[in-house]
Amino acid sequence: MFDLIEPALFALLTIAIVAAGAGVVLANRITTSALLMAFTFLNIAGMFVLLGAETVAMFQVLIYVGAITVLILYGVMFTPQSPRPYGLFFQTQKYWAALFVVPIAIFVALVAFSFRDSATVGAKGGDLLPLATSVFRDFAFPFEVASVLLLAAMVGAIVLVKRDED
Amino acid sequence: MVVPLGAFIAVSAVLFFIGTAGVLVRRNAVVILMSVELMLNATNLALVAFSRRFSSIDERGSVFVVFIFVVAAAEVAVGLAIVLSAYRNKPTVDVDEIRQLRG
Repeated sequence: MFDLIEPALFALLTIAIVAAGAGVVLANRITTSALLMAFTFLNIAGMFVLLGAETVAMFQVLIYVGAITVLILYGVMFTPQSPRPYGLFFQTQKYWAALFVVPIAIFVALVAFSFRDSATVGAKGGDLLPLATSVFRDFAFPFEVASVLLLAAMVGAIVLVKRDED
Repeated sequence: MVVPLGAFIAVSAVLFFIGTAGVLVRRNAVVILMSVELMLNATNLALVAFSRRFSSIDERGSVFVVFIFVVAAAEVAVGLAIVLSAYRNKPTVDVDEIRQLRG
């Protein structure tokens, strides 16, 4: 009975992720899209916990559900728009679109379902120790480069948004 | 009964397709940024799934996920700044109407 909990949780998370992700694209109001995006991120954090990657799940909640959602909501707040229906981009070329999408989808499905064995073979203990060891020993230089990138992005964002004082 | 690895990869692929559709279909610049975030999250899911399955000792895949977090944060900050300054220039976020750079 207990070995059914994991597939049940996976099914629930999958339904939530796909439904909320489709809602982000299909919702007419931008605020609805932003909140559904936060819900999708939260469910992907649940997927990470299911995979045994608790540290990555915590980063996901902190960065995506916390920071990026708030940033996007600020963006929505500062750019008021009247909601209007969107036109489908490929409305006139849907057969051409299907011609390209269906083979790619079949190929991706074949590749995905060729991995039949269990997903959590390596999951013994948490992932904090191996993750920290990798980041600070093997990837120490990319880690520093990432901090420089964040600093440059912060300065760039401030300079772009700052008003001219003349 | 265990969840196979392919199931996680399939969810990741579906989410990536949804994000791509959002980038192509929506004309609102903020929604396009959100769809890009969905695509980045789909790759994160695939990376973590493969990492947990194939490298139990050093978690290389999860390290790349951390770097994707960093790049996604930088991308959304700069992207929203560009959208805001374009909005200040001309009050619209419709990417079909932002055409000042068109020759």
